[in-house]
Amino acid sequence: MANFSTSAADQMPSIIVGVADMKISTEPSTYLVTHALGSCLAVTFHDEKRRIGGLLHAMLPTSSIHKGQKIREAMFLDTGIPRLLASLIRAGARKQHIRCKVFGGAQLMATDHYFRIGSKNIDMFYRLSQEMELDIVAWEVSGRVNRSIRLNNRTGDVIVKIPSKPEFIR
Amino acid sequence: MKSAADLQTVVEMTRSIPCAPAILPKLLKLAEGGSSDLGEMEMLINLDTGLATDVLRTANSAYFSSTQRCENISDAILRLGSKVLYRIAASTLTGRWLVHPVRGYGWEPGDLCRHSLCVAICAEIFATKMQLVEASTAYTAGLIHDLGKFALAYANFTALDDIANRVPDEFPTWREAEKVILGFESTLVTKSLLENWGFPQVFVSVGYYYQTPSDCPEAHRKIATLIHAAKHVATQLGYGVGVDGFYYEPDEEALKEAGFNEQEMDAAIPEILSTIQRFITPTGEVRFT
Repeated sequence: MANFSTSAADQMPSIIVGVADMKISTEPSTYLVTHALGSCLAVTFHDEKRRIGGLLHAMLPTSSIHKGQKIREAMFLDTGIPRLLASLIRAGARKQHIRCKVFGGAQLMATDHYFRIGSKNIDMFYRLSQEMELDIVAWEVSGRVNRSIRLNNRTGDVIVKIPSKPEFIR
Repeated sequence: MKSAADLQTVVEMTRSIPCAPAILPKLLKLAEGGSSDLGEMEMLINLDTGLATDVLRTANSAYFSSTQRCENISDAILRLGSKVLYRIAASTLTGRWLVHPVRGYGWEPGDLCRHSLCVAICAEIFATKMQLVEASTAYTAGLIHDLGKFALAYANFTALDDIANRVPDEFPTWREAEKVILGFESTLVTKSLLENWGFPQVFVSVGYYYQTPSDCPEAHRKIATLIHAAKHVATQLGYGVGVDGFYYEPDEEALKEAGFNEQEMDAAIPEILSTIQRFITPTGEVRFT
């Protein structure tokens, strides 16, 4: 798992979000963190005025592959994104103030028939973002890198860590 | 730190790696032999204090425990059965080895362990669903498939940094860069290590051919393809994936021949993930038993 740098400003407590999981925070002095996205997508929502943030780490594009079965909503983009957005609004965020950022969706080498979860996730996110009229302010997706991220709930900045590379902010 | 690598040096250096899983082949043979060999199994487990502790802890865990506590290894073996016991041994021994801190490949401590465990779990689930090979063999093959990379990282060759810096600009895949820069691929290191430790030929074949299962002799092509598929699915899941992870080519021909299809693999992911999350916490801590 990626170790983020630990400067004095980084001593805020972290809430860890696992794979197929989502968390929100109404506490400004908090990081929402998720590790090793691979082909998964992490979606962050942040209301800068109210300092309310949320993070989803979804593995697959659509819950339709599990029709009729009990599902974990956060595992799929089509169930996880609406759920996260609703949770944020319930916690006091305003839809018009929520900014969205998206990360992950790494892709394996070109293949026509196998291992295309990364590109399917990106396609699904794009479709959902249009349907839900999300205000997307940062895309850091695709490529052949394994990203870990943390959302600073005070600022809405997202710090991205990639193996063997310096951190950067989106 | 060395600037030039040769295969023999790498293999020699890794002989001194602490906790090498050298008793695994013997345990595997005994596990396959059934209950008549339990005495010998007890003797082997008792050779390793950490392993014996894990076996007893598991036998007394809520999942396996009855009203009576297991206080010795022979009782624990009877309670757990040889297959569960082998699984604990494989996980404990390789896990202990794979969490050893190393540089190279952009790994954080424990990353190779996390990734290998994910490959093992994917392999076990695919083996069960597709009836391609025996599930515990698939699990072990997943755990040890990348030992060569660990050995290279442990040997601390600066050549690994050279590879990382030149993929993908000069070499489209990690394998091609290894061939040119190291003079051999990490799969050859895996093969040499497993041969040295006396692992059965099936694991040697997996270690050597899992990246290119179409090249594998027919006798072991199914399991090499299974690990190839498991490896790529685990890479997509992200656990412990380093800088090299997304620079390997899928072998579509072998996957098709073995009967893999994308829809079924994607549909298996929720089960794979649930299983993985029994062993790896959201913070990345690995709980083998």
